[in-house]
Amino acid sequence: MPETDALQRTAACLAVLAALFAAWAGQNWYTAAHDGAHAYSRTRDAVLQSAEQGVQNLSTLDYRDVDTGLATWLDSTTGDLHQQIAQGRTGFTDQVRKARTVTTAKILDAAVSELDERSGKASVLVAVETTVTPPGGTPVTKQNRLEGRLARTPGGWKLSDLGQAPAGTT
Amino acid sequence: MSRLLGLYKPFGVALGLVLVALLLHPIAGRLRDDGTPRDRAVLDGVATTDVTGDVSTALSRIFSYTPADVSTAQRTAADVLTGAAAQQYRQIFAQVQRQAPAQRVALTTRVTRAGVISLVGDTARLLVFLDQTATRAGRPDGTPAAAQLTVTAHRDDGHWRITELKSA
Repeated sequence: MPETDALQRTAACLAVLAALFAAWAGQNWYTAAHDGAHAYSRTRDAVLQSAEQGVQNLSTLDYRDVDTGLATWLDSTTGDLHQQIAQGRTGFTDQVRKARTVTTAKILDAAVSELDERSGKASVLVAVETTVTPPGGTPVTKQNRLEGRLARTPGGWKLSDLGQAPAGTT
Repeated sequence: MSRLLGLYKPFGVALGLVLVALLLHPIAGRLRDDGTPRDRAVLDGVATTDVTGDVSTALSRIFSYTPADVSTAQRTAADVLTGAAAQQYRQIFAQVQRQAPAQRVALTTRVTRAGVISLVGDTARLLVFLDQTATRAGRPDGTPAAAQLTVTAHRDDGHWRITELKSA
């Protein structure tokens, strides 16, 4: 009989240890699942990637295939910027075909300056080097400091605004 | 015998708990390791705001001087720069210190925009757009120059210090 008591005590001890282990593991799982900081940095990475790709797309256009180029532009944008591109499409296509330019871009650096996860809005800075090649002429390379805004859409983060980063007193 | 049978219950409960724990543990590990970023130190963007503010203030102060006062910028630099950045700055500023008073050159640096490229633990990389206006003998010396820098910063004791400066 005392042998059984010892066995019972051991079993009880094991049960307590198991409960503690389970509680620890459960808490571990909970914090990992609700790690807001981790989610935030993942969102920033997503925003950065979309911004780089978006600016790259909007800085690339070949007069021989303006339609595909502008379709990519529309696909990379949302909101006001999307509307502007859609409205100016015909006029712009004519201009580029007449000028016969090929524009390529290289993203030098990009960073996120603002990010609001809740409202799904972000601001980014992008340093980009664009090269415009006129027909039969020498390519002209220019470095631009751009500032863009992105909004979260069902299709991922897309550019809603893009322009030169202000200089001077503004 | 009946007492021996009664033991199955606590053993069963213990076994069940261990199984649940063992199941949850790898899930937690996978949740944490999901994706490439390891930016665990970012607490809902507070660190982002801190590092952007600290670095912007530091840059505008260490790259602004007047012919009469070059040493304020240098003293600030001793506080906010460390490692390779401090060394780089000393080299640049040795020249400034010699020429600024004689040529009456003043420089004003303004950070127009700053953003975070990455933030991992206590190390951050930033992209900073800045404008520099030089005056010679009180007159503007050319148009403001637009520059961009990639900055590496490290946090010690809650303050971000610049460890590396690179013109982008």
